[in-house]
Amino acid sequence: MIFMLSKDSRHLHVADQELLLAADGELPSARAEEVASHLAECWTCRVRKGEIDESIRDFVHAYRGNLDPLLPSAAGPRALLKAQLAEMTAERAAVPQGWRARWLQGPHLRYAGAALFVAVLALLIYLRPAFESRQGLRIVPVSFPEPSLTPGVAAAMNRDEICGSADPKNRIVPASLQRRVFEEYGIAGASPRAYEVDYLITPALGGADDIRNLWPQSYSSAVWNARVKDALEDRLHDLVCDGRLDLATAQRDISSDWIAAYKKYFETDRPLQ
Amino acid sequence: MFEDNAIPDLAAANASSAEAVSPKPTPLEEEVVALFDQMRDRLLRYLLSTGVSIQDGEEIVQEVFLALYQHLQRGKSRRNLRAWVFQVAHNLSVKHYVARRRDRQNLLDSGEALAQSLLVDRTPNPEDQLAGTQRHARLQSILGALPEQDRQCLSLRAEGLTYREIGRVLDMSLGAVALSLGRSLARFARAEER
Repeated sequence: MIFMLSKDSRHLHVADQELLLAADGELPSARAEEVASHLAECWTCRVRKGEIDESIRDFVHAYRGNLDPLLPSAAGPRALLKAQLAEMTAERAAVPQGWRARWLQGPHLRYAGAALFVAVLALLIYLRPAFESRQGLRIVPVSFPEPSLTPGVAAAMNRDEICGSADPKNRIVPASLQRRVFEEYGIAGASPRAYEVDYLITPALGGADDIRNLWPQSYSSAVWNARVKDALEDRLHDLVCDGRLDLATAQRDISSDWIAAYKKYFETDRPLQ
Repeated sequence: MFEDNAIPDLAAANASSAEAVSPKPTPLEEEVVALFDQMRDRLLRYLLSTGVSIQDGEEIVQEVFLALYQHLQRGKSRRNLRAWVFQVAHNLSVKHYVARRRDRQNLLDSGEALAQSLLVDRTPNPEDQLAGTQRHARLQSILGALPEQDRQCLSLRAEGLTYREIGRVLDMSLGAVALSLGRSLARFARAEER
C-alpha cells in the first residue's frame, strides 16, 4: 500500500501520483479497488482527486477548443490518400513476380541463411581448441567483437540528450581501460597502433564507458575496419537526430551486428570508402 | 488560414479526378483508409500542438498512412497500430522540426508555437464565455511554459493514448510518463490556487 502521510493530520492519504493513475485508469485492478475504497471514506483525497479531474478537464477543453477549429476538412486529404494508395498498388502489380523473385521473397532464403550460420558456428567451435593450443591466445578479433566479452552497453540517455550534445564523437578511452580490453581479448602484447579500442555502441548513440562496450578493432582489416564503422556511427547519429530512426533500434542494430547494420543503412554490400 | 484551407480542396479536386479512373480498392487499401478516417484528426491535432503548420501536418499524416500501407503490405506486426501511427508521426515531426531549424526557416520553437496555437485569436463562443476566458488565458500561458516533452505527454494523453503507448511514442518509461503528467497537472493546480 503506497499511502502518503499528510502534513496537516495524522491520517494517511493517497499520493497525487496514484490519484492521477486512478483517474486515468492506469492502476492495477487490486490497487484501484484499494484506492476507490479509501476515496469513499476520505474527504481530503476525494477533494484532491476532484482537483486533478478538473485540471484534466481544463486541459482537454483548452486543447480541443483551440485546435479543433484549425482542422481543415478531411475530404481532400482522404481522396489524395486513396489515389496514392491505388498508385502504389498499381506500381507493385507492374513489377514482374517470376519464380525467382518469389523464391527470394519466400522463407527458403532465410532457412538457407540460418543453416549456413549454424554450420559456420559449429565449425568455429570445433576448430577453436586446436587454434588456441597452437597460438596460446584467444582468436584475435579483426572486424567483429566477441559477443561474450562485448555485448554492448548503453547509458540511460534519451535522444534529446544525445542530439543536444555539443560533441557527439567518440570519447578517448583511458589508457588503463585500453590495456584491460587488450588483456581481455588476449592481445596484451599487441601494438596499440594496430587497433582502435572502440565503443561497440558509440557514445554518440548513448554507448556507456563500460568494458563490456569496448573491443579492439583492427585498423589493418582491408574491408570492414574501424574507419568503416566510424562512418556507420555518423550515419546512425544523423538518422536518430533527424527523427528517421529511433534510438533503441540504432543501439540494437549496431551492437548485434555492425556490418549488417552498415549494409542496411548504406544500402550496400561493400564499404563505400 | 485561407491559404491553408485552400490547399486540401485543390488536392481533393486533383485526387478525385485520379480516383475516377482508378480500379476498385484492394482490401488493404480500404483498411488503411478506414484507419485514416479514425486517426487523421487526432494525428493532425497532435502535430499542430507540437508546432507543425497545418500544411506540413497534412503532408506528415499522408506520409504516415503511406508508411502504414507498406508496413502492412510487408506482413509486419499489426500489434497496437494506434501507437505505431503516433510514433511514426512523432518521428516525422521531429525530422521536420530539425530540417526547418537547419534551414533557418523556423522562427518559432515548438513551445512558442504551441502557445501561439492555443492563443489563436478567435471569436469566443458561448461555451468559452461560460468557462471563463481568464482561466483559459492562464491555462494557455502555463502550457506555453511547459517543457516540450511534458507538453507532448499531455497532448498524447488528450488524444487518448495510454501511458504505455505514450512511453512508446516518446521513448520514455512508464514512470517518466506518469511523472511528466503529474508535474504538468500540479502546475495547473498551483495556478488555480493563485
